[in-house]
Amino acid sequence: MVDTFRDVFGDPGLTIQDTTTAADVEAWDSLTHIDLIVALERRFRIKFTTGEVTNLRNVGDLVSLIKNKTR
Amino acid sequence: MATQLDYFQLIKKSRKVDFSACGETFRLALLGDTATQQLAALLIVLFAEHGIRLEVFDGPFDAIELQVHDANSDLFRFAPDAIVILNSVQALRMRYYRRPGSGTEFLDQEMRRIAGIWDLIRERTSAPVIQSTFALPIERIFGNFDHKVADSLYAVVTALNLQIAEAARTRAQILLNDVEAIASHVGRRHWFDNRFWNMYKTFCALEHLPLVAQNIVDVVLSIRGRTVKCVVLDLDNTLWGGVIGDDGVNGIQLSAHGDGESFYEFQSFLREIQRRGILLAVCSKNNLENALKPFLEHPEMVLRRDDIAVFTANWENKADNIRRIRETLNIGFDSMVFLDDNPFERNLVRTLLPGVIVPELPEEPADYIRAIAELNLFETSSFSAEDTQRTELYRQRAAREETQSSFASVEEYLQSLETEILVTRFDTRRITRIAQLFQRSNQFNLTTNRRSQAECEELMRDPGYYPIYAELRDRLGDHGLISIVIAQHQEQELFLTDWLMSCRVLTRGVEQHLMNHIVEFAAGRGYRWIAGEYRPTAKNSMVKNFYAQFGFEAESDGSQGSIRWRLDVSAYRPATVFMRSVEAGGAVGETA
Repeated sequence: MVDTFRDVFGDPGLTIQDTTTAADVEAWDSLTHIDLIVALERRFRIKFTTGEVTNLRNVGDLVSLIKNKTR
Repeated sequence: MATQLDYFQLIKKSRKVDFSACGETFRLALLGDTATQQLAALLIVLFAEHGIRLEVFDGPFDAIELQVHDANSDLFRFAPDAIVILNSVQALRMRYYRRPGSGTEFLDQEMRRIAGIWDLIRERTSAPVIQSTFALPIERIFGNFDHKVADSLYAVVTALNLQIAEAARTRAQILLNDVEAIASHVGRRHWFDNRFWNMYKTFCALEHLPLVAQNIVDVVLSIRGRTVKCVVLDLDNTLWGGVIGDDGVNGIQLSAHGDGESFYEFQSFLREIQRRGILLAVCSKNNLENALKPFLEHPEMVLRRDDIAVFTANWENKADNIRRIRETLNIGFDSMVFLDDNPFERNLVRTLLPGVIVPELPEEPADYIRAIAELNLFETSSFSAEDTQRTELYRQRAAREETQSSFASVEEYLQSLETEILVTRFDTRRITRIAQLFQRSNQFNLTTNRRSQAECEELMRDPGYYPIYAELRDRLGDHGLISIVIAQHQEQELFLTDWLMSCRVLTRGVEQHLMNHIVEFAAGRGYRWIAGEYRPTAKNSMVKNFYAQFGFEAESDGSQGSIRWRLDVSAYRPATVFMRSVEAGGAVGETA
């Protein structure tokens, strides 16, 4: 998943933790957020619902969500 | 060739665009009732690939009317070169659901709103407006019967698209971004992304957004004149099945029905392209004679020899031939498309002439048209009668040039033109054109009298004058009225007050023919002398010694450098001219 983040944000050296939020990553704005969702969906072959996306607070939530959907 | 239109690749590229190869700028405003930031990013990348640095005004979300109503809005202060208006059917649907009256009343309101926005824009700028059409909704609440119910959303959107198109036909400023065409091409079931519309108000599934961007790029490039002007065609297995050199006219496949139907259809398609104003050229590896045979003899040949502006058939490499075609047509390589079934030839041209557009053609000829259609090569932002005549105009010009190079002497060439000249007194039919020539003629004009139409009419009726004009026509075209001479009856002499001629017809015998005519007239009236005058201006030095060639003698340098000339009629030797005199009523007409 880190690869996808790095790819979407154009930062090969990016590191993320469970507590990372959009506020912590300069390139993560409302525009790139959409790209991130689409990229993750593609990468993991899943689809997020509207509710799932809007309830995300940080990267940790995202990781749990993806884990659930790919089980 | 066309970029890979992958959304992710393009968005990635949009983060670091290299503008160093961009030779021009374009200012594009984006107004939409949909999210437009992703579109803006895609546009910047795609334009850069065409050497254009795009400056985008990305309008605030759903603020089309606000921006357009305010004369001092950010939109107008941005001074756009073009304004893109992106209307989504998703937003329209929401307005439809809340419609106060019937569906058809809603339709009228929507069209009035759209036209109102165009009119407001037109008041403030002449920048082209690129208006989107609406993708048709996926739901049909009456099924196929929707079309029979004018109030249904489906019927309303269909009608709205048609009304937009019809309104655009009478407004040159309005160009179309046919979103419905793209959505239909992709397939409506793949086009929409409802989740993303709900969350982010994105226009369509993001993977297809590059197609919308590319569509806009195509329209803007055509505004900038970057259009295809010529399609260069191979012959064997491109315009017909088989090889003409081996199979002969009877062996190639080309027929309205049966084996050769794909090629028949392909030729028909190409003829439409030609009629639309794009030149066709042939570049074939064949003997010229063989290459021409189907054009001249095959009963099902759709393209005629006349449809081809430049016909090249030889055994040299195609890159060199295309270079020559380009030079002959005087256009850029990047306005040329090369179609050849042979991958070897396609790659050769792609490699040696990287500007030329060389589409990949599928193995199956029945799919040629579709492969070409995908590339949307023939975008334009205008169309006029002149376009439909382009091949004919080009062929007239080319024929003149061809003829010139194959004649040993000028005389032979002049002879071959079969020129006809009409010399006659001023008449009401031509009086306007006569007056025009008096106003416009600067270089080949002996006395530069600017005679008004009223004056010309007076001269026409005055028995003291012999005012004549000449019209010219030859094998290659009609030149219209090209020379005027006015002779005035004076006691001792016939005085030439005016002599002017169009520079288009220099050195082909017109002035000699007219002088023959004038001298004959003078002799017939018993004149001993003919006199003329040269009055110098900044532009007519070419005719300073005009009269000398006919044996006139310079009498005196008059006031301000003018020269008076006089001819002894009995000393005149008529000049040989290579043209035939025709009588009035011989239908020699006027050129544009």
